[in-house]
Amino acid sequence: MVVGAVAVIVVLAVVGPWVAPESVYRSDIANALAGPSSEHWLGTDDQGRDVLWRTIAGARSSVLSAVLVVAAYSLIGTALATMATVGGRWIDETLMRVTDIGFALPGLVVALGIAAALGPSLSSALIAMIATGWPYTARLLRGVMRETMASPFVDGAVVLGVSRWRLMRRHVLPNSLDVMTVKWAGDIGNTVLVLAGLSFIGVGAQPPSAEWGAAVAGARDYLSTAWWAALVPGIAIVITAAAFGLLGDMLHERRDPARQGA
Amino acid sequence: MTTEVVQRTALLQVSGLTIDTEPGGTSVRLVDGVDLTVAAGERVALVGESGSGKSVTARALMRLDGSLTIGGSIRLGDTEILAQTERHLSMIRGSRIGMVFQDPMSALDPLQSIGAQVSEPLRLRGIRKKDALRRAAEVLSELGVVRAHDRLGAYPHEFSGGMRQRVVLAMALVGEPEILIADEPTTALDVRVQQQVLKLLDEVTRERGLGLLLITHDLGVVAGLADRVAVMYSGRIVEDRPVGALFADPLHPYTAGLLAAVPRLDVRLPRMTTIPGAPPSPALRPAGCPFHPRCPVAMDRCASETPPTTATPDGGRLACHLDQGSGN
Repeated sequence: MVVGAVAVIVVLAVVGPWVAPESVYRSDIANALAGPSSEHWLGTDDQGRDVLWRTIAGARSSVLSAVLVVAAYSLIGTALATMATVGGRWIDETLMRVTDIGFALPGLVVALGIAAALGPSLSSALIAMIATGWPYTARLLRGVMRETMASPFVDGAVVLGVSRWRLMRRHVLPNSLDVMTVKWAGDIGNTVLVLAGLSFIGVGAQPPSAEWGAAVAGARDYLSTAWWAALVPGIAIVITAAAFGLLGDMLHERRDPARQGA
Repeated sequence: MTTEVVQRTALLQVSGLTIDTEPGGTSVRLVDGVDLTVAAGERVALVGESGSGKSVTARALMRLDGSLTIGGSIRLGDTEILAQTERHLSMIRGSRIGMVFQDPMSALDPLQSIGAQVSEPLRLRGIRKKDALRRAAEVLSELGVVRAHDRLGAYPHEFSGGMRQRVVLAMALVGEPEILIADEPTTALDVRVQQQVLKLLDEVTRERGLGLLLITHDLGVVAGLADRVAVMYSGRIVEDRPVGALFADPLHPYTAGLLAAVPRLDVRLPRMTTIPGAPPSPALRPAGCPFHPRCPVAMDRCASETPPTTATPDGGRLACHLDQGSGN
């Protein structure tokens, strides 16, 4: 079921903006804040736009952005962890101290800073999240890789004459990434949440973007009269974050040797 | 240091090998001046208790533990292993020296197929994938893996312990090395499988004329397989003699103690024979002969003078003061 939910979310994120009627980006003030009806199943927002279609159209900026962010910082973190593992003690020390600095940067403050420097936009928010996300992957993966390096099969590969880089690529990295997929799946859910938060406070996606956090922010003033305009994108955020979080848990359980047949 | 008695040309010649832990903090000498030779086709067992330095010696031959300081000389044919760059070393590993480890359960990469792992040494030498896989299947068949060609795509968890040890052995042999180092190859296996693996090692080394350095603590394993036995105690080789002579007439009190401690089915004993005491930690190695605190026949000089290594008439060597005057 979790896999199904994630699949639906990802499909919507890819095709959403294409299938949504063009009207989701156009105002229709006469129809503003209308309740659910046969024409607008989940009502309209303050600009008279269909809430359900806007939420579907916003899936791309919310979900695919999150996937992009996690992919980008995972790549950076993986590269650094690999270098720290292959390189000697000095490279390892240096990279890990740089990672410490990365840890010291508070995500929100960096996001505000980048928004101030580049202007608030979806891409500023993404840059900020990439810039603050990589240390976690780098540190965790370095630890996992060290553990993998101590496995007997690594010695086994070395005595066959496998070079350091090939050892990393063929043996150490694949055996370490196994653990990381659990983290990354969970991270996507979390990133959707943070991105929505950044957009909500105004440093992320800007109106008229259909991004969910921005949509909730726009509908906030009408919460007492037109609650659906905020609730629907809000529920989309919750479902997405939960689905990816559960996917992470599921992957974790699947790789638990106790639950695998020998 | 008169050690050279082997008639055949030495394939592997270790001399004055010292291994120290990482400098910084207190450096500890784990291996203290080991001389060891393995001739082509010769099967040598390196025997000792846990902590005697036998495994660390074996791993040093492959330069596996980068954080240890290795001194002395390790020559393979004309190649000095200790002088090689990491790149040259990868060309020697797998193609000139093969190595088999203790635990076949964890010695295989769980995410790589059997075929990929056995063919890897060949692929590293630029042999095409198809040919490498065919050769891998041949070696696996020779080692008694049935329908080997169909099982190249299988993963390690689909194989039993004994089968995995065959796979590990195939990985070591596929590059056609001159010498095989087997580090406790049977310790993690059950007794029946142990016998199979030993038989396999015996056949494989005999058929291919492969030099074998067998690291073990199990004298029972040694008796059936080795031509010569080197007994290691506290980082030194105390006795190194042909297997028959050593079993019939151990010269070093430590060897005698080890042999007496082997459980026997044909003799009723009120209790197991043991050597009193425990082997010393390498950091607290006693002066003189390291065995003297546990030695039943220790003399005064054993506590002060390290016994020199001397040749024995049967072509072996011994490091014990006791033998000096006895003319044995």
